[in-house]
Amino acid sequence: MHMHSDPPDDRDALREKIIGLGETSLHKSYYPELQSRLAELERFRALLDQTHDAIFLIRADTGRLADVNASAVTYLGLSKEELLAMPFASLIAPHQKAAFLETVRKSNEVPSGSRRTCTAYLVSREGREIPMEITVRSVIFGDEQYIVAIARDITDRILTEEELKIKESALESSTNGILIADLTGAIMYANPGFASIFGYEQDGVFMGKNLEAFFATPSVGEEITGHLLDNHTIVKETIGLRSDGSSFHIQVSGSVVQNDAGEPLCIMLIVMDITERILTDQMKRKTYEQLGKNIEQFAIIGDHIRNPLQVIVGYVEMIDDPLAEKILEQSCRINEFVTQLDRGWVESANVRQFLRKHGDGGEPPLQTFIHIGATKEEDP
Amino acid sequence: MIQRSQLDLRKFVAPEFICGHGALQLAGRYARNFGMRHVLLVTDPGVRAAGWTDAVGESLTEAGISFTIFDAISVNPRSRQVMSGTEVYRAEECNGIVAVGGGSPMDCAKGIGIASSNMRDILAFEGVDRVPVPAPPLICIPTTAGSSADVSQFAIITDDVRKRKIAIISKTLVPDISLLDPEPLTTMSPELTVDTGMDALSHAIEAYVSNASSPMTDVHALEAIRLISSALPAAVREPHNLDLRFSTLLGSLHAGLAFSNASLGAVHAMAHSLGAACDLAHGRCNAMLLEHVIAANYEAAPDRYDQVGAILGAAEGGRGTPAENVAAFRRSLGVTETLAAVGVREDAIRTLARQAYADPCMVTNPRRLTCEDLERIYAYAL
Repeated sequence: MHMHSDPPDDRDALREKIIGLGETSLHKSYYPELQSRLAELERFRALLDQTHDAIFLIRADTGRLADVNASAVTYLGLSKEELLAMPFASLIAPHQKAAFLETVRKSNEVPSGSRRTCTAYLVSREGREIPMEITVRSVIFGDEQYIVAIARDITDRILTEEELKIKESALESSTNGILIADLTGAIMYANPGFASIFGYEQDGVFMGKNLEAFFATPSVGEEITGHLLDNHTIVKETIGLRSDGSSFHIQVSGSVVQNDAGEPLCIMLIVMDITERILTDQMKRKTYEQLGKNIEQFAIIGDHIRNPLQVIVGYVEMIDDPLAEKILEQSCRINEFVTQLDRGWVESANVRQFLRKHGDGGEPPLQTFIHIGATKEEDP
Repeated sequence: MIQRSQLDLRKFVAPEFICGHGALQLAGRYARNFGMRHVLLVTDPGVRAAGWTDAVGESLTEAGISFTIFDAISVNPRSRQVMSGTEVYRAEECNGIVAVGGGSPMDCAKGIGIASSNMRDILAFEGVDRVPVPAPPLICIPTTAGSSADVSQFAIITDDVRKRKIAIISKTLVPDISLLDPEPLTTMSPELTVDTGMDALSHAIEAYVSNASSPMTDVHALEAIRLISSALPAAVREPHNLDLRFSTLLGSLHAGLAFSNASLGAVHAMAHSLGAACDLAHGRCNAMLLEHVIAANYEAAPDRYDQVGAILGAAEGGRGTPAENVAAFRRSLGVTETLAAVGVREDAIRTLARQAYADPCMVTNPRRLTCEDLERIYAYAL
């Protein structure tokens, strides 16, 4: 003990402390520290109760629940007291119980701390089966071995996966070519339809190739990418290039895939082989052109008949001939024939307009026909 | 005759205690040091009316500690009252208990503590060492000089249903700190002063002759008998004399330290049974039974009883047997009733004896008494 030669400044205060009456002259007590630890545990407990995952503490020897968090109570609709009176396995759907117990058994065999994950359905009080991804882990508290099971509700995940499967299946089964590329044009995905259109046997050979490889004019790929980044959508007809080097007509519809912030992630193109349609259009266009020419010939023929007929009618009206009346009568009949031809042409115009409208949508030689019809209707 | 050796294994448990004028005002400091945030202040209507509850409340408030008062406690606290207090303790989210009062509030406070920490009915703890989880911190401020509940490992609770007192004995019942202030004793009535004083004297005598006594408990027991025999009659005459009150308080403290570790005997076993059946003040029951039990036990510890008799005889100037000297001391304090006078009928003796025989205090009585022995003692006291 260190002894001072001079008396302490405050003997009375020191004496009080020696007697044990000082403000901090405390008897040994663990209670304040215990309170502090309990408060810490309560805070941690509150955190566990806030999590959406259901947490179960299972006694390894009996399989009974030793503790659960609030989410477990909420998911299962059972009170904490009810849960603590039952084995965890009784919460598993009957058809999955054996598989789950096997997972637990394996987790017991591995060193404490390592985890195993399985998927199982937990059954609520109402009998609803909740799909859960359950991670089990063996732990030791004190001298007792426990299993911590953390169950995550994967109902939404399963629905999302099913939706994705449907979408993926739709992509894979589409006869149109569907292609996803990054913003530089490098291909990330191409469906079997795309491979078929471009003459490739496997759809995986596209990975890493650039768009330009699939157009007769390579710069088209870059044009499409640039247009999409500026305008976000595109519909374009162009010439594609097959794997054997042959070209064909294609229609490309594209859009930019964006994230939630509106930033472009990649581009998606839908490619259709329109060769047949293009050839049909060309043939139709030629047919309509020929039809227009033929109709024009009809108009000329009509004029060629009417002009001499006018001359004949004028001449007969000026002469006094017993046959004049007969000639006029026959001339009128011929004029009626020609007029009926004109009417037939007008009616055929409606038919051809219908063909153009519901055929290929191409520009028909309609103006020529209307012009002829109008001329005839102006004639007396 | 009890065969004893000073080499026998013994254990001595005592709480931290502060004694002296003004000790009551330290309640807030110690509550804060124990980490109490909201205190259940356990008391009774009489102590509250005397102003001591408010004095303790002020100390808690000055220390920044909030509190809820629970005073629905009668003499001989009931199990129902303990459980009501437990509900209040939980509902108010208390984390510590301060008891201010005599034996009833302090025993009730102990009961509330263990019932809340173990979340079980108080009657489940009857017997010895049957409290698995310790109670929250308990600060005791005695306002009587007799029960020594502020330093003991005992709590006596009356079973409402079976109309009998149960003894709960556990080291977990020893309070964490006792604040022994003589001032609250000044408001005790002469009758309460005598009853509690005789209780303390019974504690000291029974501890001294107990078959579990030890050199440590002997020191405290003899000092308690000396202090009480000299100071108690004077304190009755001069109730506001702080020195005399403090001597009785010290006497009670010594007696408490002695009996809490050496335990008690037939006087208390029989008083528990009698008090529960007739709802009599515990100290008064002891006073009426003490000399009769001494007479019955005398042959088992004659030297010790003689020493007790000598101390009391010296105080009273008597030269009789120990039992006679105790009787004389009782009478000098004005306690002259018999059991019959307080309403005990002869036909109740058998039941009283049977219940007393089952009391844990009988285990440390210096003489192994039979149930019939107890019946005879009750009969003498009628």
